Amino acid sequence: MSELLIRNACVIDPLNGINGEIMDISIRDGRIVEEVSGNAQVIDAAGCLTLPGGVDSHTHVCGTKVNFGRYMSPEDMRAGRTARNGCMHVTSGYSVPTTFGNSYRYSNMGYTTLLEGAMAPLEARHTHEEFTATPHQDMMANTLFDGNWAIMEAVRDKDVRRTAAVVAWYLKAARGFAIKLTNPGGTEAWGWGEDVSGIHDTVPNFEVTPAEIIGTMIRANEVLRLPHSVHLHCNNLGVPGNYQTTLDTIGLVPDLNKTRQSLYLTHVQFHSYGGTTWRDIDSKSEEICKAVNNTPQVTIDMGQIMFGRTTTMTADGPMEFKLYMLHRNKWSNHDVELETGSGIIPVYYFRKSMVNCVMWAIGLELALLTKNPWQCLLSTDNPNGAPFVKYPEIIALLMSKKLRDQECALLEPRTEHHVPLFAIDRELDWNEIAIMTRSAQAKALGIRDIGKGHLAPGAEADVAIYPLKTSEIDPSTQYQQVIAGFSRTKFTIKRGRVVSRNGEVIVDGANSTIWVKPKVPEEYNLSNDPDFVRKFQEYYTVRMSNYPVQDVYLPRGVCIETEADL
Amino acid sequence: MNFVLNTGRTIKQGSYVERKNSDGYRDEASACRMNPVDMMELDLEDGVNIKMSSPAGSVVMKAFSCQSLKRGEVFVSLGPYANHIIDGETHGTGMPDFKTTMVHIESTDEDVVPVSRLMEECGGWPYED
Amino acid sequence: MRIEDVICPFCGCLCDDLVVEVQGTTVVSVENGCTLAHEKFTGDNRLQAPIKRDGRTWHPVSYDEAIETTAQILLEADRPLLYGWSGTNGEAQSIGVHLAELLGAVIDNTSTVCHGPSIMAIQEVGHPGCTLGQVKNRADVIVYWGANPIEAHPRHMSRYTTYADGFFVKGAFLERKVIVADVRETETSNIADEFMHIEPGGDYAVLSALRAIVRGKADIIPSYVSGVAREQLVRVAEMCMNAKFGAIFFGLGLTMSRGKYKNIRNAVELTEELNRFTKFTISPMRGHWNVYGSNEVFTWISGYPFAVDFARGIAFYNPGETTSIDILRRGECDACLVVASDPGAHFPKQCCRHLAEIPTILIDPHVNVTTHLSHLQIPVAVTGIDSEGTAYRMDGVPIRTRMLYKSRYPSDREILEKIYQIVLKEKGP
Repeated sequence: MSELLIRNACVIDPLNGINGEIMDISIRDGRIVEEVSGNAQVIDAAGCLTLPGGVDSHTHVCGTKVNFGRYMSPEDMRAGRTARNGCMHVTSGYSVPTTFGNSYRYSNMGYTTLLEGAMAPLEARHTHEEFTATPHQDMMANTLFDGNWAIMEAVRDKDVRRTAAVVAWYLKAARGFAIKLTNPGGTEAWGWGEDVSGIHDTVPNFEVTPAEIIGTMIRANEVLRLPHSVHLHCNNLGVPGNYQTTLDTIGLVPDLNKTRQSLYLTHVQFHSYGGTTWRDIDSKSEEICKAVNNTPQVTIDMGQIMFGRTTTMTADGPMEFKLYMLHRNKWSNHDVELETGSGIIPVYYFRKSMVNCVMWAIGLELALLTKNPWQCLLSTDNPNGAPFVKYPEIIALLMSKKLRDQECALLEPRTEHHVPLFAIDRELDWNEIAIMTRSAQAKALGIRDIGKGHLAPGAEADVAIYPLKTSEIDPSTQYQQVIAGFSRTKFTIKRGRVVSRNGEVIVDGANSTIWVKPKVPEEYNLSNDPDFVRKFQEYYTVRMSNYPVQDVYLPRGVCIETEADL
Repeated sequence: MNFVLNTGRTIKQGSYVERKNSDGYRDEASACRMNPVDMMELDLEDGVNIKMSSPAGSVVMKAFSCQSLKRGEVFVSLGPYANHIIDGETHGTGMPDFKTTMVHIESTDEDVVPVSRLMEECGGWPYED
Repeated sequence: MRIEDVICPFCGCLCDDLVVEVQGTTVVSVENGCTLAHEKFTGDNRLQAPIKRDGRTWHPVSYDEAIETTAQILLEADRPLLYGWSGTNGEAQSIGVHLAELLGAVIDNTSTVCHGPSIMAIQEVGHPGCTLGQVKNRADVIVYWGANPIEAHPRHMSRYTTYADGFFVKGAFLERKVIVADVRETETSNIADEFMHIEPGGDYAVLSALRAIVRGKADIIPSYVSGVAREQLVRVAEMCMNAKFGAIFFGLGLTMSRGKYKNIRNAVELTEELNRFTKFTISPMRGHWNVYGSNEVFTWISGYPFAVDFARGIAFYNPGETTSIDILRRGECDACLVVASDPGAHFPKQCCRHLAEIPTILIDPHVNVTTHLSHLQIPVAVTGIDSEGTAYRMDGVPIRTRMLYKSRYPSDREILEKIYQIVLKEKGP
């Protein structure tokens, strides 16, 4: 039995309605409990801000394309190097750090749970191998279905039940967590060098539209009773005028779940552009936020960009090629048979670029104009908008109008006429930041019930103690302290164990991988479906028996089993 | 006479990859394929021993005629025989000139040595199974 | 016992449809495999026990002594080199990288004399690729450049390209065009619809000529470019531009010849330019069954795919300096651990000489050429036959190899883990 007592913590725990109360937190064997014995190890939080461990609900940290981002970028590897130190392994990389680099840096910022944003089922084994080498966070994987042939055939036949059965088969095989759609239909079109340009375009050879894929998958998701909703990267990412596609998509969403959203739209900043070209691009954050405010069944994340160097990587292959045609740096592409695509290019976001300035403004506007912080989560689509180490700066920008004004003064001068940001006065408070960085993520991902994102007895003892005294700091003026405080915890506690202290990781990690297994009736088990099996053996280049990820790849797997409504 | 030495995979070499001390491996890795006209000029019969030299050293192989090779080009399966005369220079790339080394070929009475003997010449000591 | 869907641990094709018949600890038959697979599975030429050399005599030693000796040699070395790794599984490779990190060693894999230059080119211009199933299901034009799959990857054409029927290509043999570019006639060039017979060292110029034609500058091309006629170049460029889906596969003919990584860069840029007209991909024909896995594992741990130098504590990478051939040629390393590969057969003589001079230890199931240069060899089980673990196919698809019977040898993972633990005790936190 191991016991830990955190004394004098200034706790913000939004899921339990606690906002800035000074209290003690008791931990036994990795869980929060009512009280501990006198033998417990004691940590004095000394009135510092204490939050549930951070949850990132959309980040690219592990798997085929992330590793290719490292592989092709020695210049990025050189930009962030640390030597072996104590139990910390060597790390390399700035925008695409090595797995241990990601893990240590997230841990130092108080993050204990991450959702990898995109995993192709065929390459799932790779993602899980890297999860094991990201030891300080519990990991989950969005599983890509955007160009899945069996899904598109079931959608074409308007068969929600079969769609659900296909999802169930792949989630189990890939040890995945949730349904991810990246530019649905577009990644299949990219197999021929084409794309779709709106949700009602037809996908070549499959006679379905993105709207039909999205709509059917939202229903299949609820049939399977998955913890998370469909996780969508909308069509037309990064195209001027694309806000209309985003609004059309939001308009499709039925309200099917009482406990969370029915659709999660990711990195919405990249999907909120007005105008017709890069010259007349403008922010449509007001229109998007109006739709979000009126549609409680959707949740979004920001996809904030920050100025400087980073690497873009997504399953959205055609988008990366378009981006490459603009930047002309270097371009990698990796299409995955029967499933999806992906692309990678390095980018630099410039303050001197009006387009980049508009993008920067939109991300902040989304967070400031969405009334309910539970509906808009803090993200950079790491590393697409910026590496996650920039989160503290984003927090400071959201909490301080003064800091925003200072930054706005440095922007390309025309920006002011293209964005509403300059006129927005709202400053977020500590509670709202706590919601946007952990509690709302846990709720949106549906992992509150397994003890994530809150600190009530029974919860996982994942706790972040920041060197911030909320009663003594005025974030609207003392934003430098806010940035410093959120960059480095005093203590990060993972499953009841102090793993990181004042910016140094002090133990070897032992994370879990959380995955979802929907239980379906035998007649919906596609392993017995002759048509599915035949197509699998004919068109994949891997045998069906060699496809599923073996248990050995999840040494500490946590399986959420669901009863499908089939 | 001077030639451009090209090396590469052959299926026979590949199938002996776990039996590199066998006669079969030696025969394949020390076979120098040449254009028949070049062989005629050097007065070489099929299967005779030749000495191949470069600034990095020399090694004995056997010559075999190969219609599909152009004149002035020879092909040897990748392996210790070819590597005995390939220089370690990589021009800053990590990769030696495995496919474009200039070599001199002449006939010889010397024998093709076994792989283990080649390594002994490098300072090693043969291990007999 | 008959085992289906067995994965072949020979070449980068990583075929996973073999049917293997096992009796006790012997493979008696292999169905679906190529000649190379057959030899690999049925070969019985294992080294029986660890062997050690004192001067000119070899004698058997226990595993414990061999492990202890290895750890001590590595601990005593100032600049150890850990080389090989492509013939073992990812789990063993991972221990290798951590061992290198602990020792401050250089760790390098066989890419260094294979597709290392391809990696350098990708680091300059990227890599527009895909999984092999994309090619099988869609491609109507296949290009093999400086590659001879019939001899090096015998089932590549039947499983993934020329003869593989796919969803959009029902009659592959009739519907697909095959272009081969090489400096010599090969079995592969004999079945090509177009064979560009290039003069040795002329690949870069031919690639440049094709790029010029794709960019609409056919009129500046001279009548011959490195032995290839202009008419043929124009024909080939048009075949590529008119393809619905084209796929280039390139081999060591580009990485090892004059120009090295610049050849690959040119080929990647040609691919990128073709993507402005149609869909085109390019892929290296990776040699060892898990060489790509060693690149992947090295990268997620250290940030670099090969030639990683931990001497300064951080991970440092500079091909030409931290690559094995250069380190050995300069006589720089003072101990070498070779795992699952055979530098004795594949490195220039100069490098072999240095390997013989320093304590070289070989962890490999078979007596190979490096054995004769070593001071110690530790035999281990063969991944994919009597040991299992992760492998990455040439296109990055990870597959778990199978253990067909229980081995009487330890796995290289077990041996490396024991060495690691001894070193950790000395060097750890």
